[in-house]
Amino acid sequence: MPHFCIYDKTACMRFFLIPALLLFLSSCFTKTSPRPKPYIWKKEWAYKPIYEDAAIAKQIRYIDSALPVKNPGNIYAKDNLIYQLELGRGVHIIDNAVPSQAHRVGFIVINGSSQISIKGNFLYSNSYEDLVVVDVSNGNSVTEAGRVANAYPQGRYEYYYLEPPEAGYYQCPSYDSVVIGWKKDSVYAGCYKN
Amino acid sequence: MLLLAGRKILYTPVVIKISSYKNYIIKFSFNKILILVSLGCCILSCSKEGDSASASAPMSVSKAGSLSKFAIVGNYLYAVDNNNLYSYNITDPVHPVMTHTTPLSFIVETIYPYNNRLFIGTTAGMFIYSIEDPSAPSKLGEASHVRSCDPVVANDSIAFVTLKGSTRCGPAESGLYIHSIKNVLQPVLIKKYLMNDPEGLGLSGSILYVCCNNNGLKVINVADPANPVEIRTVTGAYFKDVIPYGDLLICYVSTGILLYDISNPTNPSLVKLIAN
Repeated sequence: MPHFCIYDKTACMRFFLIPALLLFLSSCFTKTSPRPKPYIWKKEWAYKPIYEDAAIAKQIRYIDSALPVKNPGNIYAKDNLIYQLELGRGVHIIDNAVPSQAHRVGFIVINGSSQISIKGNFLYSNSYEDLVVVDVSNGNSVTEAGRVANAYPQGRYEYYYLEPPEAGYYQCPSYDSVVIGWKKDSVYAGCYKN
Repeated sequence: MLLLAGRKILYTPVVIKISSYKNYIIKFSFNKILILVSLGCCILSCSKEGDSASASAPMSVSKAGSLSKFAIVGNYLYAVDNNNLYSYNITDPVHPVMTHTTPLSFIVETIYPYNNRLFIGTTAGMFIYSIEDPSAPSKLGEASHVRSCDPVVANDSIAFVTLKGSTRCGPAESGLYIHSIKNVLQPVLIKKYLMNDPEGLGLSGSILYVCCNNNGLKVINVADPANPVEIRTVTGAYFKDVIPYGDLLICYVSTGILLYDISNPTNPSLVKLIAN
């Protein structure tokens, strides 16, 4: 015990209490969340969701030309065609009638998709939480033929574009509408992607 | 569900001046884009399309890759999400009717139909379901293993499973696991064939094609499943999944789709690269 504790009670209290208080407060700054650094509440340059109205995002469309492949997924072969998923966006169609000249011919827009299967003239896929049936009998006019709404309730919270393309902090998306892309902006970035 | 974890909704907006930090970021990413674009141009100008060899036209069938979570058998569509196996009657193709939901207590990676069975590759093992009653699959047997990622292909007596041990998938020893399913109620591991980073796979007769990502495509003779013989490794691409389609091998690789002629099944010859 320091000698001044005998004649100066205030100094003595300061001597012991201040370090004790600091020690106590320091526990506030320890890492308790899985975040790589403590989150600081301010705007920063980070990914912000681009929203689309769910009813519009879920529309099935056909694009009569080859699109570049960005995030490829499963493949499926049927007759002279090969289908390949574009994660979260839809399905590339490849004409494989002559394999040495195989090439992409079109694209079926099915936002929120990650799986396909085909029977006869009908392609089945998921679109967010829905199961969709797409008529592919006519190459030039691919249309929606059926839909089971809310077939996969989880699909609302698990689709490709729900997270930004890169690791780091991003603005937390809302689940009221669907996210169709991301752009950088000055935002409150409260979510983190590993 | 995972996405929900650790997410906070923030309410109190604080106005803070945006400093030159933002400019710095823009400049930095602009430089990055410049570098990427020039690199991309370099790579593109160097790449060469494969020689166009003749391969016979594909048969009139349909076939999914081994990484699929959708499968159609007869008039039923089977679909899995992380927690459930859904069975849909698609006798009327435009009005799927859900007939059954089978809760699954493990994370499903792939679903592979063969005859009256569904082989479900999960992070906890391979599960075999009977679809004798197609409207309501019932579990027959399972081959459990340590946690990993694992697509499956099968024939009447043998199931081939690739296990990939990695940080995402679990601690399994990566390799090809060959199970005898003569007694479907109790699959027996007859061979563990270690290989690096295996993923999608496809079976054509007695030849098994295994995609090993950056380690190429392995061509394996499995005529004697207990003694698989590796014939060759096709390299030059990052192989993800494969569909043997008659005389054609359709490969999903990171740069696009590669088509190989497999009229000689042990010696795939490149027909075409459909670049991304």
